[in-house]
Amino acid sequence: MQSKLSDIELIDLTLAGDQSAYADLVKRHQRFVFTLALRFAKTREDAEEIAQDCFIKAYRSLESFQRQSKFSTWLYSIVYTTAMTALRKKRVETASIDDENTFIQVESQNSSFDVNNAENRSRSFYVNQAISQLLPDDAMIITLFYNGEQSLEEIGQTMGIDPNTVKVKLFRARQRLKEKLERNLKHEVKELI
Amino acid sequence: MNTAEEKLWNYIDGTCTPAEQEAIQLQIQQDEAFAAKYRELLLLNSEFAATELDEPPMAFTYNVMESIRKEYAATPLKASINKNIIRGIGLFFVIMISALLVFTFSQVKLGTGGLGAMPVKFSLPNLSPLFSGPVMQVFWFLDIVLALYLFDNYLRKKRLTKTDISVHTGGQQDTH
Repeated sequence: MQSKLSDIELIDLTLAGDQSAYADLVKRHQRFVFTLALRFAKTREDAEEIAQDCFIKAYRSLESFQRQSKFSTWLYSIVYTTAMTALRKKRVETASIDDENTFIQVESQNSSFDVNNAENRSRSFYVNQAISQLLPDDAMIITLFYNGEQSLEEIGQTMGIDPNTVKVKLFRARQRLKEKLERNLKHEVKELI
Repeated sequence: MNTAEEKLWNYIDGTCTPAEQEAIQLQIQQDEAFAAKYRELLLLNSEFAATELDEPPMAFTYNVMESIRKEYAATPLKASINKNIIRGIGLFFVIMISALLVFTFSQVKLGTGGLGAMPVKFSLPNLSPLFSGPVMQVFWFLDIVLALYLFDNYLRKKRLTKTDISVHTGGQQDTH
């Protein structure tokens, strides 16, 4: 059962030594943090590791949380920096993150086994698939804006950029997402025919 | 310069000025192609917003809390002791040593007859009553009682450990 206390109340309890309060905070934010981590990681295992790492880092530096912004904004900024660091480490092992085809290739590998169920897929499946094909920054902005219900200012704080830059990036991310969605749907129609 | 699409996204997000908003509303009413584009983007917007969050594994919270517990349990005792206590003890000793030095030097009378003729006079407290017969007897009595008590404790612990081992290994318990 989720706690009815606010994030700030749970933080105060955690700082007073109540670890179960922090467990409630983790439960409350884990789905979103995990989804954000998935935007950067190629596998669920990697995403789980990143998300876990974020919550541990947040616990360690909970005392330094200034409370000038929402806890979620502060937590998402930890997710962003942790995920970017993890991505840079992986980049050494694999191809460059700037190579958009890398992500397309990975995604097509992941989705290849259920191509016969195309007719059963919902429209949201295709949107999710298209999001996972975007560059991490684009996917992050889309997720923060739509799922995290974050304002342009809050996204700017999370990613350490100006709100106007966020606006421009959001526009471009939507355009790319639209293109990918159209391409994937066209591909699925071909598969059905 | 803003493209039609950019204008429409700003309109949908509500980030344009009231004047721009009015102009776009008018264009939607008058321009059919623009209105079609608006409907298309509105549909996309609702689809983007309808995406669901991914679910982490069932044991996610447990794993996080377990990692935190392990990390904090592994903190060495040295790190968990309040540094102020250590500083306080240090300060106490520094003050004591300083006081002793001040007291000692204040007792020293430096003369002009050279170091060999330095008349140093220490007045030590008289401790001889402490080593008198009855005091020493009480001291030895308490020492023996304490030693017996500690020895008894030691034997009890040893017997308990033996019993535990025999229970865990399936052996018979020591009834003594």
